[in-house]
Amino acid sequence: MEAIVYGHFTDELELLDAVKALKNKGIRIADVRTPFPVHGLDAALKFPRSHLPKIAFAAGIIGGSLGLLFQVWVFTEGWPLNIGGKPYLSLPSFVPVTFELTILFAAFAMGFAFLLRSNLGPGKIPNILDEEVTNDHFQIILSAKNNNLSEAELAEALEATGALEVKHINAEK
Amino acid sequence: MMHVSPVREPLINGEKSYNDITSDVMAPIKAKPGKLWYGGLTVSVIVMLIGFAMIGYTVWFGIGTWGVNRTIGWGWSITNFVWWVGIGHAGTFISAILLLFRQKWRTSINRAAEAMTIFAVMCAGLFPLIHMGRLPLGFFILPYPNTRELWVNFNSPLLWDVFAITTYLLVSLLFWYFGLIPDLGTIRDRMKTLWKKKIYNFLSFGWQGSARHWQRHESMSLILAGLAAPLVLSVHTIVSFDFATSVIPGWHTTIFPPYFVSGAVFSGFAMVLTLMIVTRKALNLQEYITVGHVESMNKVIIATGSIVGIAYITELFMAWYSGVEYERYAFMNRALGPYAWAYWIMMTCNVISPQLLWIKKLRRNLAFTFVLSIFINIGMWFERFVIVVTSLHRDYLPSSWSMYKPTIIEVAIYLGTFGLFFTLFFIFIRVFPVIAIAEVKSVARSSARKFLGKPTKNQKPENQ
Amino acid sequence: MEKQNIPDPIPFKFGKKLKTYLGIAAGVGLLALLIAVFVQQLPSERIWANLWMNALMFLFLGLGALFFWTVNTLGESTWQINIQRIMESMGLTIPFAVILFLVAFPGLKDLFEWTHTEHLDKILQKKEAYLNLPFWLIRFAVYFGMWSFFAVYLRKMSVKNDFEPHEKYLGRLRATSGWFMVFFAVSSSMAAWDWLMSIDAHWFSTLYGWYIFSGMFVSAVAVIILITIAFRHFGILPNVNGEHLHDLGKYLFGFSIFWAYLWISQYLLIWYSNIPEETVYYVERVNNFGTIFYINVAANFLFPFLALMTRGAKRQPLYLAVVAVIVLIGHYLDLYLAIMPGAVGHENASIGLLEIGLPFFYIAAFLGLFFIFFEKAKPVPENHPYFIESSDYENI
Repeated sequence: MEAIVYGHFTDELELLDAVKALKNKGIRIADVRTPFPVHGLDAALKFPRSHLPKIAFAAGIIGGSLGLLFQVWVFTEGWPLNIGGKPYLSLPSFVPVTFELTILFAAFAMGFAFLLRSNLGPGKIPNILDEEVTNDHFQIILSAKNNNLSEAELAEALEATGALEVKHINAEK
Repeated sequence: MMHVSPVREPLINGEKSYNDITSDVMAPIKAKPGKLWYGGLTVSVIVMLIGFAMIGYTVWFGIGTWGVNRTIGWGWSITNFVWWVGIGHAGTFISAILLLFRQKWRTSINRAAEAMTIFAVMCAGLFPLIHMGRLPLGFFILPYPNTRELWVNFNSPLLWDVFAITTYLLVSLLFWYFGLIPDLGTIRDRMKTLWKKKIYNFLSFGWQGSARHWQRHESMSLILAGLAAPLVLSVHTIVSFDFATSVIPGWHTTIFPPYFVSGAVFSGFAMVLTLMIVTRKALNLQEYITVGHVESMNKVIIATGSIVGIAYITELFMAWYSGVEYERYAFMNRALGPYAWAYWIMMTCNVISPQLLWIKKLRRNLAFTFVLSIFINIGMWFERFVIVVTSLHRDYLPSSWSMYKPTIIEVAIYLGTFGLFFTLFFIFIRVFPVIAIAEVKSVARSSARKFLGKPTKNQKPENQ
Repeated sequence: MEKQNIPDPIPFKFGKKLKTYLGIAAGVGLLALLIAVFVQQLPSERIWANLWMNALMFLFLGLGALFFWTVNTLGESTWQINIQRIMESMGLTIPFAVILFLVAFPGLKDLFEWTHTEHLDKILQKKEAYLNLPFWLIRFAVYFGMWSFFAVYLRKMSVKNDFEPHEKYLGRLRATSGWFMVFFAVSSSMAAWDWLMSIDAHWFSTLYGWYIFSGMFVSAVAVIILITIAFRHFGILPNVNGEHLHDLGKYLFGFSIFWAYLWISQYLLIWYSNIPEETVYYVERVNNFGTIFYINVAANFLFPFLALMTRGAKRQPLYLAVVAVIVLIGHYLDLYLAIMPGAVGHENASIGLLEIGLPFFYIAAFLGLFFIFFEKAKPVPENHPYFIESSDYENI
């Protein structure tokens, strides 16, 4: 149970200014919710770069290696077959399947990592404070838990940036 | 903030706010479907069921119910397979490759195009399965451990196809669905009917528009685009390998991989145009899918169509240059032999007609584009028919020469796939947003004819 | 919106120091040639093949740049406006490539066996209608005549717009780019057949023209990268920032993969079907030029693929420059493999002083001409309506 203060904007440029203003005051922002990805917001919130690309790369290597090694095993150890006079270790032939498995593993590993990391998935219930956030509201959420200020002070700071309908509630995160 | 030159045509025609975008795109989902929709769906379902019945008939009685024979073992089935797979390439091209090239105009067509891709690949996938004959043993094509210690033939392009098509279907689904998640959240929040709200709640995976999630989503989309781009190239390349790895004149030629890929994008964009020109009118989305969008798609068509044309000329020349009498005959036979009518339909539809798009007026004419897009798809069907059938019907040994004619069963199955495709598409436009809402919003400020921003507290109006 | 203070451009001058460096490089190249002819006394086929190979590389840089410029124009793309003058000036070197080809003409009989009309075997007789010197020369003239015309005319329109900005010049640029594209599509393939594929006159591949084109394009992009980085470093193009480098890096990365895709398509299909009249091409290269054959794939695909994958890699000028140099050398090797086995044969062909030294002359000649043309016009087409967009955009 924590005290949450939130308000919204109807213009993403004002949202950006507000985020920068709050950050300048040293206030920690719990979340910013927008209907679409706002350019420059990640930088303003000083998010570190996502690790998803690294996961894709690693999974791709694994998928490709698995694919290649499996094919090599099948055609040299498992049941070697003479297909049109080609050598058992017919590497050029193994390229297509290796390539496809690389892409498949990379894509799905990244997809699952995204869902797991963001705690999203079938059946997950969102904690919606403002239904219009997926339409045209740009919301800033502040939490008293990670700020040394009181609810009232947070609300004041938020209103100073120009947010509309600043509310505070006690909510489960 | 990126500067957008004022010389550029607006991507959204009209005065729109973010709320307008949401409402406009959600309208077909919220509204009660009209008579036209019910009619279209009914016809599609009936045709689909007839097709499925004919598939059942084929599986029961065998491939003898088709017109294939020795030496033409592949007829309509594989022609249709390649045709559908080709069409499926436009969606990923628009989503992935146009994203990498920062083409903002893709935002209002990518959702529908990706859906079209998935449906087209599903239709395509039917054919390799049913043409095997003994479909209940179809699982043999998968490398599963078994007591006979048998494995699949990794040296066969037909097997590479299994991996390629499966990967393509799955990755396209992933790309499409993950792009949809934020929009499903939007619909969830605006849906009033409780049972519908619950369904969209489930489908939207708990999306709430958090900035951290958006950051990951963007990063993932970019990487997926980077993965999907070579995937698109690889799928139709591997399909072309079905032919090019053989020794048949007309099939074995090194230009097939990029030529097939160009042809696929060519036919895919034509299908997107066919669908979008009708859909934009029917769902009242003309302000989002503008004439400018149609023109941009036409530019892709003329580029890929020209590449296909160059490939035809190259093949013709090289057949002569090689001095190989079988190659020379294969191409003479295409133009002058018993299937010459198919060849000339292909040439007219694929090489001559798209060249008209060099004329700007025609590029921006919706009626012309609609008719042309259908001609292109007819032409591309005939291209695959010419490649498959004419190369098989007369190859090295004259005593093996034969003719091929499809049976009514094959024709019905092909039409049935149209039924399947349109059934899925009709359902799609009622259930999911046809336009990527969040993506269009992200370009609205810079690229709408008049962007209606709602200033928060400061009274200065934000108009472009 | 933060706008950094972009300094005024330092005007480019093709001065004494630069000319001296180029002169030294040219001298190195000539020296290598003289040593090869008079001291090492290499077989004549090898000398002519090297002259041929370098002339082609010289041409590919200009032609690839011209293609890159026109295709971006047709796509209404804007990021490249800031480096457009580099591409324009590279394109203007095309007419001068003719001289370099003419210098190698005495070697045509050594390079192309189909020129020996007295003893053509049955296969070459079938190709005589296309592979005969008169027709070949006419095609040569047509390719160069048209490419030169396009390079000069497009440049003229671009410069005219500087002084008298008008939609008509932009319209002509677009329309002419379209015509060029059509002509280029046909002529680039035909030139590849005429000048490279017919060295192995008994062999054929429908993909060959497009394969050579992909190498041409990557080489041109590599050179554009190097010149862009240099000009940025010396303040000649202050508007060029990490975004432009990132985009150029993407092209180098992506089209290296495209090159590899065409390489494996050609190789896999010929290997798989195993038809002797086709496989002979690769058998010769794998068995007798094996090391270079595999280095070719490593330098042109594996290396750029791994080196340029990350975002950061593409935005670092020094790193990007090093990768571009290696890829450029890689494509030189690709050309080597296309020419030497057929023209010289494995007993006499090798990477020696001539192969390493001679390119310096051609690099000097190319850069010399490039600098002369770059000096003649403004460094960026400021009056182009897309100029601002080109200076103010961001990659993800």
